[in-house]
Amino acid sequence: MAEPVGIMLAEHFSTVTQQRQAAKLGLWAWLITELLLFAGLFLCALIIRIQHPASVTLAATHLKFWIGAANTAVLICSSFTMSGAIVLSRIGWRAGMLRFMLATAALGTLFLLLKGFEYYQDYVEHMVPFLSGPYVLAHDQASRLFVDVYFITTALHGVHLITGVSILLVLTWQASRPHFLTRHQNRIEVYGLYWHFIDLIWMIVFPVLYVLNR
Amino acid sequence: MARGDLRVLLRVLRVPALTLAALLALLAINVALGATLPFRNVWIVEAGVTACMVAIVLLVSMDILEETPLIRLFSSIGFFWLLIMFGMTLTDYAYR
Amino acid sequence: MSPSDAVMRDPGTPQATMGRPSDYLHAQHTLRSWFFTTDHKRIALLYLASITVFFVFGAIAAGLIRLCLVVPNGQIFTNDTYNKIFTMHGVIMVWFFLIPSIPSTFGNFLLPLMIGAKDVAFPRLNLLSWYVFMTGALFTMATLVIGGVDTGWTFYAPFSTTYSNTYVIPALLGVIVVGFSSILTGLNFVVTVHMMRCPGMTWFRMPIFIWTLYATSLIFLLGTPVITLALILLVMERAFHIGVFDPRLGGDPVLFEHLFWFYSHPAVYIMVLPGMGVITELVAAFAQKRVFGYRFVAYASIGLASITFLVWGHHMFVNGQSQLASTVFSFLSFAVAVPSAVKVYNWTATIHKGNIRLDTPMLYAMGYIGLFVLGGLTGLFLATLAVDAHLHDTYFVVAHFHYIMVGGTMLAFLGGLHYWWPKFTGRMYPEAFGRVGAFLIFVGFNVTFFPQFILGYLGMPRRYHDYPPEFQLLNILSSAGSTILAVGYFFPMIYLTWSLWFGKRAPANPWQARGLEWTTSSPPPPHNFAVTPRVDFDPYDYAIKAREVG
Repeated sequence: MAEPVGIMLAEHFSTVTQQRQAAKLGLWAWLITELLLFAGLFLCALIIRIQHPASVTLAATHLKFWIGAANTAVLICSSFTMSGAIVLSRIGWRAGMLRFMLATAALGTLFLLLKGFEYYQDYVEHMVPFLSGPYVLAHDQASRLFVDVYFITTALHGVHLITGVSILLVLTWQASRPHFLTRHQNRIEVYGLYWHFIDLIWMIVFPVLYVLNR
Repeated sequence: MARGDLRVLLRVLRVPALTLAALLALLAINVALGATLPFRNVWIVEAGVTACMVAIVLLVSMDILEETPLIRLFSSIGFFWLLIMFGMTLTDYAYR
Repeated sequence: MSPSDAVMRDPGTPQATMGRPSDYLHAQHTLRSWFFTTDHKRIALLYLASITVFFVFGAIAAGLIRLCLVVPNGQIFTNDTYNKIFTMHGVIMVWFFLIPSIPSTFGNFLLPLMIGAKDVAFPRLNLLSWYVFMTGALFTMATLVIGGVDTGWTFYAPFSTTYSNTYVIPALLGVIVVGFSSILTGLNFVVTVHMMRCPGMTWFRMPIFIWTLYATSLIFLLGTPVITLALILLVMERAFHIGVFDPRLGGDPVLFEHLFWFYSHPAVYIMVLPGMGVITELVAAFAQKRVFGYRFVAYASIGLASITFLVWGHHMFVNGQSQLASTVFSFLSFAVAVPSAVKVYNWTATIHKGNIRLDTPMLYAMGYIGLFVLGGLTGLFLATLAVDAHLHDTYFVVAHFHYIMVGGTMLAFLGGLHYWWPKFTGRMYPEAFGRVGAFLIFVGFNVTFFPQFILGYLGMPRRYHDYPPEFQLLNILSSAGSTILAVGYFFPMIYLTWSLWFGKRAPANPWQARGLEWTTSSPPPPHNFAVTPRVDFDPYDYAIKAREVG
C-alpha cells in the first residue's frame, strides 16, 4: 500500500535536505508577510475601539456571532483533516491522504458558503454601510468604521481561503497521479503550513471582531 | 480496510485528533464567554484563550516543536514585529 | 564542440573564446531565452534595463520641476501640472527606481556569486518577481504620464481619498502590485542566504554586501505587507468611503500615516543599506585592505534594519500625534546615528593607510561617504523636536533626503555599476570618461541640493511652485546645478552602452579584488562556477590588514 516517500532534487540544490528546508523556510517567510498584512487591520480595529468604544460594542453585537463561531469550528476541523493528510503523506498512504485533502477542501468550501450566507444576512439587516442603501446603525456614524473593517478583514481572509482551496484542488489532482509522493511529498508539507496559517488567522479574526468587543 | 491499516491510522492521527479536541474545547470556552458575558473585562480571559489556540496551532499543527532553530526563529519574528507595531502606535493613541 | 554549435555562436566572439564553455550572455540568443530565463544574472539585467528606463522618466520630471522653479511666480506650469510633475518624480524614483535599484540588480546578480551558489533558492519565483514588478510599474507609469496624480508619493489622506480629482486609484493599484514583487525578492534572498551558501561560507565569511542585502530583505518581508494594507485601505476609502481615515465619520487620517511610515521609513533603509554594502566592497577593493571592524559593520547592518522600525513617528512630529510618541520617536531616531556612524568610521579607517587607487568606483565611494555624512547629520537636525517644528515640510527636508537618496544610494549604485560592469558584461568601461562623469555628478549634485538647505532654513516650503522673489537666486543656482547633474548622468549612460560593443575585454578580476565573484570568468558561465567553490579564507583577504584594537 505505502509508496516510497521523497523529493526530486532540483538542479541548483546540492542535497535533498537543503531543498526541503529551503521550501519550508520560504513558506515561513511568506507567512510572516501574511501575519503583518492582517496585523494592520487588527491595529485599525484596536484604534477604532480606543477612540469609539461605545460605537464598536454596538456594531460588534450586530455581527452574526453564531455563524462566526460555527465557521471557526469548521476551520478547526479542516485543520485536523489537513494534519491527517500530512501525516498520511509521510507514511506514503496516498489514498487516505487524497481523501483527507478532499475533506479539507470541502470544509474550506463550507466555510465560504457560511460566510456568503452571513454576508447575505448582513445585507438583509442593512448592516452594509459602504453601500448606498440604508444602514441600520446610521444614528451612530463611528460604528460604520468598525463594520467596514469587519468587511475588509473577512473579505481579505476569504480571498486567502479561495486561493487556498483552489491550490488544494490542483494539488489533489497532482497527487492523484502515480509517483507523486516519491517526487513531491514536500509540497503537501509546505501547503499544509499555509492552510494551518489561514486557520490561525481566522482564530484571531473571530475573537477580535465578534467576541472581544461585545 | 484491514485491521493493521486501522491501527496505523489511529496511531498517526492521535496527535491531530488531540489537537482538534483541545481547539474545539477552547473555542467552546470563548463562545460561552462571548455569549454570556459573565463578568466585567471578560475580554482579558477571551484574549488569553485565543492566545492558547494560536500557540497550539503554531507549536503542534505547524510542527514548530520539532523544527530547527532557524524555522522557530522565523515563526516568531512576525509576532515580535506585531508587538513593535502595536506598542509604538499605542505610544500615540493611548496618550493623546 | 560540434560544428553545428559553432554556427550558432555570436560572430563577434573572438576566436580565443570559441573553445571555452560559453558565458551566460552567449549561452542562448533567443528573446525567449531572455524573457523566460530563470538565470539570476539575466533576471538582474532585465531589472537593470527596466529601472534605467524608469529612472530616465523620473529624471525628466525632476528637470521639469527645476525648470519651473527658475522663476518665482510659477509661470511655466499651472499649479495642477506642477503637482502632477513632482508626484511623478517622487513615485517613479522611490517605488520604481530606488527601492528595486541595488537589491534587484546587483543583489540578483551577485548574491549567488558571492556565496558560491548556482542560483537563488527559487529561480522561477525570481522571474515571477520581475513580471510582477513590470506589471505594477508600467500600469502606474501609464497612469502618471497619461492621466496624472497630484498627491505626492506619500498619498496622504484625506487629500488622496477625498479631495484629489486625479487618477489616484490606478496609481495605488500599481504600487500595491510592485510591493508583491519586493516581497518575493526579499523572500528569495533571505532563503538563499540561509540555505544556499557553499561549503565553508560561514556567516562571518560573507561579504558585507550580502549582510546588507540580507538586512534589506528582512525589511522587505516585515514592512511591505503593512504598506500593502495601508494602500488597500486607501483604495477602499476612495472607492467605498469606508471612513477609517475620514475625520468626518470619526476616522483618523493620522492612522494612515502610522501605517504608511511603518513601512516607508524602513524603506529608506531598503534604499540605503544595499548602498552601504556596495561602498564597503568598493572601499576594501580600492584600498586593497581588509575592512576595518568587519563584524561591527555586519552587526550594524542588522542593527539598522531593526532600529529603523522604531522611528517612523519622526515623520509626524507636527501632525498631531501625542507628545509622548513624539518624544520617544525623537529619542530613538537619534539612536539610528550610532550604527550609521559605525559604518562611516569603519569605511574611513579602512581607507586609512590603504594602497589607494582613485578609479571611477572609488571616486563614487569617496563622494558617497562625504555626502552621506552631510545627509545623516541634517537628519539629526530633523529628529530634534523643536528644530523640526521649524524645518518640517520645507526644502531643508528635501535637501536632507536627496543627500541620502542621491548622494548616497545613487552614487553607490553608479559606483557599484562601474565596479561590477566587467563582471556583468565582460567589457571594461573607458576610465577617463568614467572619472569625468563621477566628478560632474558630484559637483552637479552639490550645486543642486546644497542651496536647498539654505532655502528650507529660510522658510521655503516644499511642493509649491511659486515662491517669494528673494528666493530666486538660490533657486536658479539649484536649477543650474541640476543641468550639470543631468550632463553627469548622460556620461555613464553613453559610454557604458558604447562599451558593451567596443569596450576592452575584461579579465576575470580586473581590480585585483577578493571575493568569490572575482574567481569565476567575466562574464560568468550559466551556472556561475565550473566547480562548486570551497571557502577556507576570511572575507576581504587583502594583503594589508586593518589594525584593530581589542
